[in-house]
Amino acid sequence: MKNLSAKLYRIVIAVLILIAGVTFERTGLIELFSDPYEYPVLVELFLQHLFLVTLSMTFATILGLTAGIVLTRHRFRRYAGICMYVIGLGQTIPSLAVLAIAMSFMGIGIKPAVFALTIYSILPIARNTLAGITAVPPELIDAGKGMGMPPGRILMEVELPNAMEVILTGFRIALVINIGTAALAYVIGAGGLGDLIFTGISLMQTDKLLAGAIPITLLALFADFLSELLGVALVSKGLRLSR
Amino acid sequence: MITYQSVTKIFGKGKNTITAIDNVSFTIPKGEIVVFLGPSGCGKTTTLRLTNRLETLTRGSITVDGKNIMDLDVVQLRQRLGYVIQAIGLFPNKTIAENIAVVPRLLGWDKDRIAKRIDELLDMTNLNPELYRDRYPAELSGGQQQRVGVARGLAADPKILLMDEPFGAIDPINREEIQDEFLKLQAKLKKTVAFVSHDIHEAIKMGDRIAIFDRGRLVQYDTPEIILTQPKNKFVSDFVGADRALKVLGLMWVRDIINRKPKNIIQGSDSSQEALGFMTAEKFRYAIVVEQNKPIGFVMQKTLKYEQGPVRNVVEPYPLFVYENTQLRDVLSSMLMYSTPTFCVVDENKSLVGTVTYNDIQKAVKASYADETENVENEVAG
Amino acid sequence: MSTLRFIWDNFNEVLYLSWEHIWIVGIALLIATPIGVTLGVLITRHEEFASRVLNGANILMTIPSIALFGLMLPVLAIFNMGLGKIPAVIALVLYSQLPIIRNTYTAIKNVPPALVDAGKGMGMSKWRLLRELEIPLATPVIIAGLRTAAVMNIGVAAIATYIGAGGLGVFIQQGIARVYPEMVLSGAILVSILAIIVDGGMALLERIATPEGIRVQRRVSR
Repeated sequence: MKNLSAKLYRIVIAVLILIAGVTFERTGLIELFSDPYEYPVLVELFLQHLFLVTLSMTFATILGLTAGIVLTRHRFRRYAGICMYVIGLGQTIPSLAVLAIAMSFMGIGIKPAVFALTIYSILPIARNTLAGITAVPPELIDAGKGMGMPPGRILMEVELPNAMEVILTGFRIALVINIGTAALAYVIGAGGLGDLIFTGISLMQTDKLLAGAIPITLLALFADFLSELLGVALVSKGLRLSR
Repeated sequence: MITYQSVTKIFGKGKNTITAIDNVSFTIPKGEIVVFLGPSGCGKTTTLRLTNRLETLTRGSITVDGKNIMDLDVVQLRQRLGYVIQAIGLFPNKTIAENIAVVPRLLGWDKDRIAKRIDELLDMTNLNPELYRDRYPAELSGGQQQRVGVARGLAADPKILLMDEPFGAIDPINREEIQDEFLKLQAKLKKTVAFVSHDIHEAIKMGDRIAIFDRGRLVQYDTPEIILTQPKNKFVSDFVGADRALKVLGLMWVRDIINRKPKNIIQGSDSSQEALGFMTAEKFRYAIVVEQNKPIGFVMQKTLKYEQGPVRNVVEPYPLFVYENTQLRDVLSSMLMYSTPTFCVVDENKSLVGTVTYNDIQKAVKASYADETENVENEVAG
Repeated sequence: MSTLRFIWDNFNEVLYLSWEHIWIVGIALLIATPIGVTLGVLITRHEEFASRVLNGANILMTIPSIALFGLMLPVLAIFNMGLGKIPAVIALVLYSQLPIIRNTYTAIKNVPPALVDAGKGMGMSKWRLLRELEIPLATPVIIAGLRTAAVMNIGVAAIATYIGAGGLGVFIQQGIARVYPEMVLSGAILVSILAIIVDGGMALLERIATPEGIRVQRRVSR
């Protein structure tokens, strides 16, 4: 609960800051939004942005979770270190560079953007999945094995639920970074809210700028908040009580 | 019934091997609790874990109810054996009910049967189902959690239970309680139980038989009485402890040595001089005073000597009474505390049933060490 | 391949832009570190502000970098500082706050209270305690925070090209505009190498900064 209200507080503060910024260009922005020609463009870009984020996060979550789970299986345990190091290296590389490299090999448009975003978002999820599962107390797994739970059951009913909190943190970090990086996707021709920001910068049109920057910021903060809610839904009450 | 046949377990490869268990053979009879006892590293836990294949046999075989464990599907084998561990291992993400339901669900029981079974088990382990069913392990105390652990092990009604120091993580007071409860359960359920412990007291209390391990070897496999009175070697007698005479008394009760027809009884209403005469004639230095067959105290000859009134005026009360099911160890302890060599045994109505004396206790102990004491006497004699 | 050719042919440019990039990140860290560490130390002494400060820094970092630039532009344009290296450095300083403050705070909080107690009992003043006990023990974690900030800053600085800050992002930006794939790839690869080198270098620094006693402790406990 404390986390939820903290996040809410953050959103409120951010909104206040944004409102302050907006009052500088009040007229321009509202005009922009009420312009019947511009408005649908704004909506379309917003939806484009959402599309990029949703698609890449879906892939990243599936791949990241799988990688994290596989690396905790007995047979693959010895590769965990190396794999994590390589994936980690991927995260050291600046987001713009990842997008640029993807573009070099896959051309421009949505495909390289989604590819780059997916790659970039895998690490936090994979790393936290690995850490979370590794942190499950071994006696729980021993009890499960000893009772005759098949390995699949143990994964679904013991390991994952107990690792969920850590995994969700990884998901949250990945999501927020993803939203921000998706803004850069404009640069390689994938559209999204970045369009407004970059165009606004090069044309010195503050209303466009803010029309892009504000929604993205709100989106990022909201995603952060949503992830906390997800936590309440997915993390068993019993685990929250044991803290 | 579980049979261990030449069971050997070696850890490690090549030059660095540890023989955790060395050629161990014994059988756990059906319906009995056998305690695997020994110091750390003696192989008792490994032997237990070999039974449900959490460890793999190096040599030898183990059969459970006639079937070799290697011939059974490992997951099915484990589902048929109850498994209770020291760390309790309740899944914190599941409710108490969900924890208990794990194996029944694996076995495909239907929802109603499972729900009924959960309530049944919670009742059996003295936890109110209404209160505890939907709680989470984090909300329960250690003792309660362990009870749930036992309930979980019994959930699918296995014929055999494997328990690895199940009460080790609980404080001594609660541990006594849980041990008593488990013994009551066992009297009803008659499971075949393999119970690992490092505590000799627990082993004596819980075990129908005790298997003592030393560095991977099975040193002695007998009932507690025999292990206490006829330890096979120095290791066993050291492990059991120098106070084993007292420990034996923990296995005997008043009813084993009670004297049901004591003769030195006088009524509280008798006149002291008459009583004195009676005592002198029968050569009783000391007599029990009763009223309506309920003992109220005792008198010595010298207490009566100058008394003119009834006996009850000078009677000295007993500090306590014992019952037929009082352990002799407790009786002896009280005798020492109150410097009283005789106690009255009473029933629920406080009526006199018989007496128990220090001499009786000493005779009983001597009888159980018969072989040993003979040897000692021979040594002393020549 | 042709990308390497490009780098070789334009080596001067490569050096210049690399230097620009490093300069921006370096200045930002130089400014951000004292601010961050000081704030971090302050909130360990005044717990009431801890959550608010950390939350504030967290909000800053949640805002996507390009959006932050976008938000700062109109404000700074008033002072004619909307474009160029200055807003870039300001944004980098703001971004670095969270990892630095949070790591400083956590690191100092994690110094075993028993040690602090022993120090106080021996008569060490608050300043002494800070200087001789808490900071040395906290240093490796603080450096870990600086490492996170540095790597992140290299990434953001690449984006800052788009508000006129220069740096290796220029290759990427120009490369895309001129449809010159070798240029784009060069920019991407160079900035990636820079990030990896800095990451590795700071990891080394982390290790060096760990007081000998703790290194031994860690080795023994493994």
